[in-house]
Amino acid sequence: MIGPSRVAELDLPASGIETGAGRPAQSYWNESWERLRANRIGMIAGILILVFAVIAVMAPLFSAVLTHYQPQTIDLSATFRPPVSPHFLGTDELGRDTLTRLIWGARVTLGVALLTVAVSLTVGTAVGMLAGYYGGWLDDVLMRLVDTVLAIPAIFLFILMSILFRPTPVSLALIIASVGWGQVARLVRGEVLSVKQRDFILATRSIGARHLRLMLRHLLPNVLPVLIVAASLGVGQIILIEAALDFLGLGIQPPTASWGNMLTNAESYFFHSVWLVYFPGVMIFVTVLASNVFGNAIRDAFDPRLK
Amino acid sequence: MLAKYVARRFFASIVVVLGVTLITLVLMDRTRGTYVPGIDLNPSLRPDDIARLRADLGLDRPFYVWYLTWIWGVLHGDFGRSMIDGSTVMSHILDRLPNTLELTGTAILIGVVIAIPVGVVGALRRGSKTDHTMTVVSVAGVAVPQFWMGLILILIFSVTLEQRGLPWLPSSGAYSAVNGGDFFDRLEHLILPATVLSFFYTSTWSRFIRSSMLEVLSQDYIRTARAKGMSERRVVYLHGLRNALIPLVTLIGLELPGLVSGGLVVEVVFGWPGIGKLAFERALQYDYTTVMGVTFFATMLVIAGNLLADLLYGVLDPRIRYT
Amino acid sequence: MSRDEVADDKGFEQFERFLEHWSRRDFLKRAGGAAAYMAFLGGAVEFLDACAGNSTTTTTTAKKGGHVVEGNFSDVRTMTSMLSSDTASNQVIGLMFDGLLNYKKNGDLVPALAADLPKTSADGLTYTFKLRPNLKFSDGHALTSDDVKFTYQLAYDPAYKDVASPRRGDLSKYIKSIDTPDPQTVVITTTQVFAPFLANHGLYGILPKHVLGGLEPKAINTAPFNSGPSVTNGAFKFVSWEKGQQVTLARNDNYWAGAPYLDQWIYKVLPDSVAVTNQLKTGEIDIGPVDPSQFDALKTTSTVAMAEFAVPTFTFYAYQLDPSKPAGPLFQDKAVRQALLFALDRQSIVTAVFFGHGKVANSVEPPTSWAYKDKPQVLYTFDKAKAESLLDGAGWAKGSDGIRGKNGMKLKFTMITNAGNKQRESMLQVMQQSWHDIGVEATPSLIQFPQLVSQIVNIRTFDMFLVGFNWGADPDESPLYTSDNAIAGGFNGADFRNAQVDSILNDALSTLDRNKRKQLYGQFQDIMSDQVPSPVILFNTGIYGVSTRVQGTDFGPFNQFAQRPWNHNVWVTDGK
Repeated sequence: MIGPSRVAELDLPASGIETGAGRPAQSYWNESWERLRANRIGMIAGILILVFAVIAVMAPLFSAVLTHYQPQTIDLSATFRPPVSPHFLGTDELGRDTLTRLIWGARVTLGVALLTVAVSLTVGTAVGMLAGYYGGWLDDVLMRLVDTVLAIPAIFLFILMSILFRPTPVSLALIIASVGWGQVARLVRGEVLSVKQRDFILATRSIGARHLRLMLRHLLPNVLPVLIVAASLGVGQIILIEAALDFLGLGIQPPTASWGNMLTNAESYFFHSVWLVYFPGVMIFVTVLASNVFGNAIRDAFDPRLK
Repeated sequence: MLAKYVARRFFASIVVVLGVTLITLVLMDRTRGTYVPGIDLNPSLRPDDIARLRADLGLDRPFYVWYLTWIWGVLHGDFGRSMIDGSTVMSHILDRLPNTLELTGTAILIGVVIAIPVGVVGALRRGSKTDHTMTVVSVAGVAVPQFWMGLILILIFSVTLEQRGLPWLPSSGAYSAVNGGDFFDRLEHLILPATVLSFFYTSTWSRFIRSSMLEVLSQDYIRTARAKGMSERRVVYLHGLRNALIPLVTLIGLELPGLVSGGLVVEVVFGWPGIGKLAFERALQYDYTTVMGVTFFATMLVIAGNLLADLLYGVLDPRIRYT
Repeated sequence: MSRDEVADDKGFEQFERFLEHWSRRDFLKRAGGAAAYMAFLGGAVEFLDACAGNSTTTTTTAKKGGHVVEGNFSDVRTMTSMLSSDTASNQVIGLMFDGLLNYKKNGDLVPALAADLPKTSADGLTYTFKLRPNLKFSDGHALTSDDVKFTYQLAYDPAYKDVASPRRGDLSKYIKSIDTPDPQTVVITTTQVFAPFLANHGLYGILPKHVLGGLEPKAINTAPFNSGPSVTNGAFKFVSWEKGQQVTLARNDNYWAGAPYLDQWIYKVLPDSVAVTNQLKTGEIDIGPVDPSQFDALKTTSTVAMAEFAVPTFTFYAYQLDPSKPAGPLFQDKAVRQALLFALDRQSIVTAVFFGHGKVANSVEPPTSWAYKDKPQVLYTFDKAKAESLLDGAGWAKGSDGIRGKNGMKLKFTMITNAGNKQRESMLQVMQQSWHDIGVEATPSLIQFPQLVSQIVNIRTFDMFLVGFNWGADPDESPLYTSDNAIAGGFNGADFRNAQVDSILNDALSTLDRNKRKQLYGQFQDIMSDQVPSPVILFNTGIYGVSTRVQGTDFGPFNQFAQRPWNHNVWVTDGK
């Protein structure tokens, strides 16, 4: 993980003498961005995720242009067609076009992942910030709450909640986020605790800055790199969790398509129509891989020492 | 001083435990509805039968009565009886726990055994093709959903090998149905599921060891050892690896609490008779007592594990004994 | 006499002695084997669409020894017959315990522990059973009428009301008394004439009184016997139960029909239907139920033979008929109910969703039943035009959004079924699409099975549900269709109330005259085909994959899971 002290210290402008010959001083963020750009593979991964996200958001447009099919239209006379035109990626057991479902499935899978990340980060940062900043009894109470949530094995909690709350994409995101925020809170609290002691914070406090301003304008930016890395890695993890829940029968329910439930569904037809297994599997694999690679790239960019 | 710290952590844990049991029970209670666990759509069951079975299982008591009775039982070590099959929850747990530990323990073992050489090689040959390949494989390995990897492995190493007349691995269960149970039989059954489960550990730890080694090897004392003429091998293994391994022990320790529940998906894919599979099946069947018992048990292990870890740190590192 | 005549005489003498030496069982076995051999010669090797099950006997001599591993999806819950209500438990119990009677594969009753079918009194209230002589439990203890009485007492006798038997409702309602005039005779007297009594209640595994009789009724619920019967009376006895993994059974040498050939029978728990396929291929299991989607994958495996047969299992959907519920008013009109059924291409559902392994249902009775009427009053073939005209005629006109409406109501509703069942999920989508084409908006919704059961049996706020069901050997269908089962706790979830149906079904229960019953059920099926409160989409076929090394199995509509009179006849060709 990124060493906490690193972040705070580098916030100060480097004096010309210390950076050595030639190069002008750059802010920490610019430096990191440069390092990220230099990481070719990382950039590719990041762009890939961006492309998928765009496809996901504009799913209706893409599917209308590419395939002219609806994701839930059944055609019992065209079941198990192999990947030839007009069904470029074939059809499933009810004659639904695979490519269309992959596109719309991207919306569901990525949507769940991004929503979960957004909620986890927001709630987790808020809690971690408050606990770390104020300390004392608030810290105790909040951290006990976090401990409680993190003590129940996550998968058990997901199972119980999926049985209770019918898993729509939104409710599924909230279910997964209900555990995720705890980890983020702990992470953020750790960062805040170490940054809190830095001189510049004490200095800012001494000139009378209000708490909220302090937290948002000074602490938050230092915590941000950790959050970005967590977000990127999180997307991949959540896609896998969603796929696992689909396998257990508790994730996104048919007829709504998600990559995870397309993969699970196709399992029975492996001998029959292997492409049904192949395509969603590849999509999941590539996206998770990209998110892992990108997350690592960001981490390396913000803290080259760990390379 | 230490006693006060221990006491604080202990009481904090009690609070957490109560919180956990409450959450679990609220979730189960909310779903109670009118379903009687174990009842299928069986035409020979009559309404009065169902009502009577409900009463027998204690399902018409109010929620808090349920909770208090259950807590009371747990304090006496009595987790109650399964609503589906009437066996004690404790007997279910004790039957399955060794299987789960066997699986996750082996996975961790495989993880360590593979991660160390891979990490060391990666560090020593940093930037080389070997290093890149290994990084790619380990990063790719965790990008595949566990259940999918399990199914593919079954198809390759179980079905396909057998069809070709080659020695093949079994695809479900902890031991053979007939004359099974000896060490090699269990080992045979353990290979596929433990491999799938170990992928995560192998990948994470090998990269961790690699970066840890790199960091250690750049330290001054390593340079000194080299300058003093120590053989490279001794430098790497005696000094480098040993110091790089210490944080690994911490990482492994962090995994221990998740030992009980971490293998759930793998257990379901491979029909491994463990605690995760038990909890999953019983949750679907609304077997409240078993699910609560297992969740409580697993949570206790997590809390105990964390408590133990905290205490050890408290003992080993005096700086941490702040309040 | 001429030399030839002497020779003939001698031959005849030999033949007579030969006959004497054959045991009854051997004779049947060899006759069965001979019949199978003739069938084989006759070319009857195809297993598809056989409506009477399949025998896998050959003429080679049965080998002693070896094991069979049978796979299935659920673990056992209890191994005491009177306490079990789930299929897995009943299956394993069936291997260990026989009842008074058993089923032939077409559903006819055959005597098991009873020597013959019982004598029924003239008033139809008393059944007298004579047990076979020298019946023993696996521990050598004699099995007598006391054990039979004890077994049934657990469910019907008020003294045993603390025993949590799921059979209590029926048995306490219908059994008046059980007498045991001598150790070989059991006389069961019923409270009223109840035609399905023997078929529904004559097969319970008889329990050992000398083991369980000494326990307090309440203690029986948690007795160790339930997790491991120390004593059995069936083909196999209990060895061990590794929870979540398998139940191991061993040969019972004291079995009344003769000791089984096999040393062991193992019931193994499998994760899902793909695992069944994989393990049948590798040989890890010898017998397993095959999902329709896996049939093709197994068909080509040379080491697995497929047995396919019609079964009384079916999938149906039900309209909400309670007018006080939100969707109730939509389905009150018979024309709407009929129209929706006409709009479904059920044959394409069978072909696409079940891969052809099923039969479109013409009637509410299964084709396996002796009361089945193939062409009831109203037949529903796929006819979209007729559906539309029925709806038009009933006043449901298409609105501007394409959805039909009438008197301010829109023909819009939600269909529920349980998650995790691929076929049902697919069926809902086909229904959604088919009905969309005629201007009806039906939305699928998947919920967990326990919640589905709650809805059907108790809560009943659904608009429409889709579920599977299973009849027994008797054609009675009261649980689904009589008014007194439309109360909370009953299975008449649709709230179908029809006085005529009530009286027909009641009359059919109160007579033992099969012809009269058949006539009544004919009327019943006619009415149901007209009223269609809960249309049946299809009747399934049961498919079993059996390893070619396993001989002697004889799967059929009623010899599937629990009731298999041929268990002890199973043997394996390699003797392992």
